[in-house]
Amino acid sequence: MIFKTPSWLHQFGLLGMNRRNAEYIMRFNPRSFFPLVDDKFMTKRLAEAYQIPTPLLYHVIEYHGDIAGLEEVVRDHPDFVVKPARGAGGSGIVLITDRQASNLVKPSGEVISWIDLTYHIFDILSGIYSLEGLEDRALIEAFIHPDPVFAAVTYYGVPDIRIVVYRGVPMMGMARLPTRASDGKANLHRGAIGVGINMKEGTTSTAVHRSTIVTHHPDTNCPLTGIQVPYWKEMLHMAARTSEMTGLGYLGVDMLIDKERGPLLLELNARPGLQIQVANQRGLRSRLELIDQAPSGIFISPEERVEWAVSAFAKSEA
Amino acid sequence: MKRHPAVLLAVALLLFSFALISYRIIWLKYPILPAAPERVWHLSIDAHVKGGEKETRVMIGVPYTHRGQTVAEERIHSGTLNFNLLREGLNQIGVWSGTLASEGETIGYSSTIRVQPQRLFKTKPSTLEPYPPNIGDEEQALAKRLVGRWNSLPPENRLRRIAAAVRGIWGTPSPDNEDLQAWSVFHEKHGRLTAFLVLFRAAGLPARIVEGLQLAESITNSTFTWIDIWTGQEWESLQPERGEIYQKPAPLLPLTTNGLPAVRVINGELSEARWTLTHAIIDQWRMHFERIMRSDRFLDRWSLFRLPEEFQRTFRILILVPIGALMICVLRNMVGFPTFGIFMPVLMALAFRNTGLLYGLGIFAGVVLIGYVVRRWINRLRLLLVPRLSVILTLVIIFFTVFALIGNKVGLRELMAVGLLPFVILTMTIERFFVIVEEAGARQGLWTAAGSAAVATITYEIIQFEPLQLTFFVYPELLFAIAAVEILLGRYTGYRVSEFIRFRKLKVTR
Repeated sequence: MIFKTPSWLHQFGLLGMNRRNAEYIMRFNPRSFFPLVDDKFMTKRLAEAYQIPTPLLYHVIEYHGDIAGLEEVVRDHPDFVVKPARGAGGSGIVLITDRQASNLVKPSGEVISWIDLTYHIFDILSGIYSLEGLEDRALIEAFIHPDPVFAAVTYYGVPDIRIVVYRGVPMMGMARLPTRASDGKANLHRGAIGVGINMKEGTTSTAVHRSTIVTHHPDTNCPLTGIQVPYWKEMLHMAARTSEMTGLGYLGVDMLIDKERGPLLLELNARPGLQIQVANQRGLRSRLELIDQAPSGIFISPEERVEWAVSAFAKSEA
Repeated sequence: MKRHPAVLLAVALLLFSFALISYRIIWLKYPILPAAPERVWHLSIDAHVKGGEKETRVMIGVPYTHRGQTVAEERIHSGTLNFNLLREGLNQIGVWSGTLASEGETIGYSSTIRVQPQRLFKTKPSTLEPYPPNIGDEEQALAKRLVGRWNSLPPENRLRRIAAAVRGIWGTPSPDNEDLQAWSVFHEKHGRLTAFLVLFRAAGLPARIVEGLQLAESITNSTFTWIDIWTGQEWESLQPERGEIYQKPAPLLPLTTNGLPAVRVINGELSEARWTLTHAIIDQWRMHFERIMRSDRFLDRWSLFRLPEEFQRTFRILILVPIGALMICVLRNMVGFPTFGIFMPVLMALAFRNTGLLYGLGIFAGVVLIGYVVRRWINRLRLLLVPRLSVILTLVIIFFTVFALIGNKVGLRELMAVGLLPFVILTMTIERFFVIVEEAGARQGLWTAAGSAAVATITYEIIQFEPLQLTFFVYPELLFAIAAVEILLGRYTGYRVSEFIRFRKLKVTR
């Protein structure tokens, strides 16, 4: 079939864009809380207060003058990441992995000068990558050395884990694996692969690449299914705690797995995409409805919510 | 279903809108479909008058608006004469007056008339008039004797018996020979019209003499006379010479009634008088336009038609922009078209009105494409956001200038009209197109461009649709209905058509 009928999708329990916006985002994500997730610097501050680990922050550039200190700050860190605090969809992020003479090396091997990087930071400050074109800050963060678990299925760049959380209950998860096409970025619309994660076991299931189902990574040719995600339970707990942290009821929680530090909160998304449903071959709508019918006792603590979610959603994944 | 406040608001807006429209249609007699074509008659009366030294007066009966008949677009030609419209009883008389030069003067009258016969023939009954003044008591008694035997019949039948009797068919039993003899003397003396009037009066049927025209495409140099008879429910028309009753609706256009002549001239002479009737098909709206312009009713005084002409044209279009926005709601939230910016396609559609659809789309595609190439190149210069957008904006204006100059050289107005394309929108489109191509690939960029063009085209076709323009202009309260539909769409949480395709790779059922 080239297309699905609405009744099929309804039966499947699929969540559509309109319903997500009107019934969940508008109802559970008050606009006034958006800055907490739209600004990565604020998210980071907040996460610290809630003992949720995040990538190390080396430096914040708010004014053009702050750039002067940059070379000094990263002297002992050959690799680092520059990102706009308010950037959306991974735009404006530059990864630096090495030095070559007085120049900087990107993961693709491309060499750029300090001047190039300075101009890029100026762009960030002027708001080119920010959501509403507002003036922005540039964050200089530690480069994450990812846990080798996804090494075989990552072209270059850093894979991440997205968990969608509703009223503090983790609903569905997926691993996002960069490809050559996505230029090392983990965003699905840029061509990264999304792989569904079984709620109970934490193992990868179906993989989706640009709206087609795939079994192997297009660049490395390694199988995508059956990979055991490390720290899975821990990540479910981290995701569950973001609801107390932000006050937002419908969130996409993006996490990285650092080789040494384990799972780190990368960013939060108040409008997480719907493609996760294809990667898991499960509908969000049926899970949302299940959560709304859950006993009110479970909403008291993150631990109880995770426990409830694992047992409730395991049934549909059996 | 639980009633959502948005649904209640939408229903309230819809009701408000429809209440206003109903008020206009029922009480102010607006047309239900202002743009619907309608068959009307075009009447013109032309004549040449010659007069003496004293003031000449020409009085011609003209149609006027009453139940079942609407007269609009009246035009008068009076030359050096004065013109006045007078009411005389049930008649409207056009009066041309003044002192004529020796060569005389040509006068004229024209109007558009809509006749609704089913309403025309139900006008209020007139009371029984007295006998004509020159009829003596004996003659009245004779008439009463002759029709007395039909008094028990219903009025329609009485009318038909009398019509036959005047033709000489009295039926059985025939009246006294003496009476018949007296009647033929009477007929001879007073003429057929009076004979009919006296018999109808004697039979208790209100009747009146009418002068007018056959309602058919025609040019005549005289009016003719018939008799209208009230049969209790409606008027019936009788052709006096033949004694025939017209089939309903009678194909007649009355000009004067109650025996008033259709044309009277004092101190002068009319030559080449000519009545021309032709069929025409016009917008229903045109029949109402003048009435509304003259009306004192609140809604008529606040009609958009009262705006000066040059602003009316703007509002004809402006008032359709919300429909464009509604289309965007449908195409984006129900179908799932990707577009650059939310209202960009509406602004494009507005601009296409000046350039035409094909040229508009062509120019748009050209500017975005060249703009994209330049934008890619400019990217290497690492310009700050605001100056960079300004450069693109300047570039867009340069394109427009070049287009206009080329258009002038090759004589293409469409290219010169380019200046009205929304240049800010084009600038932002170039930027958005670049970002989408960079972030999501050329395919997504072209797909979004195609979506925008499709939405702009659909919107353009809608706002160019004249009947819709007119309907919204006549009933601006339709905007509340549009808002209501938009509110309802705002609560649409169903799937988008694009999602049927997007999620086609779902396999398992729970």
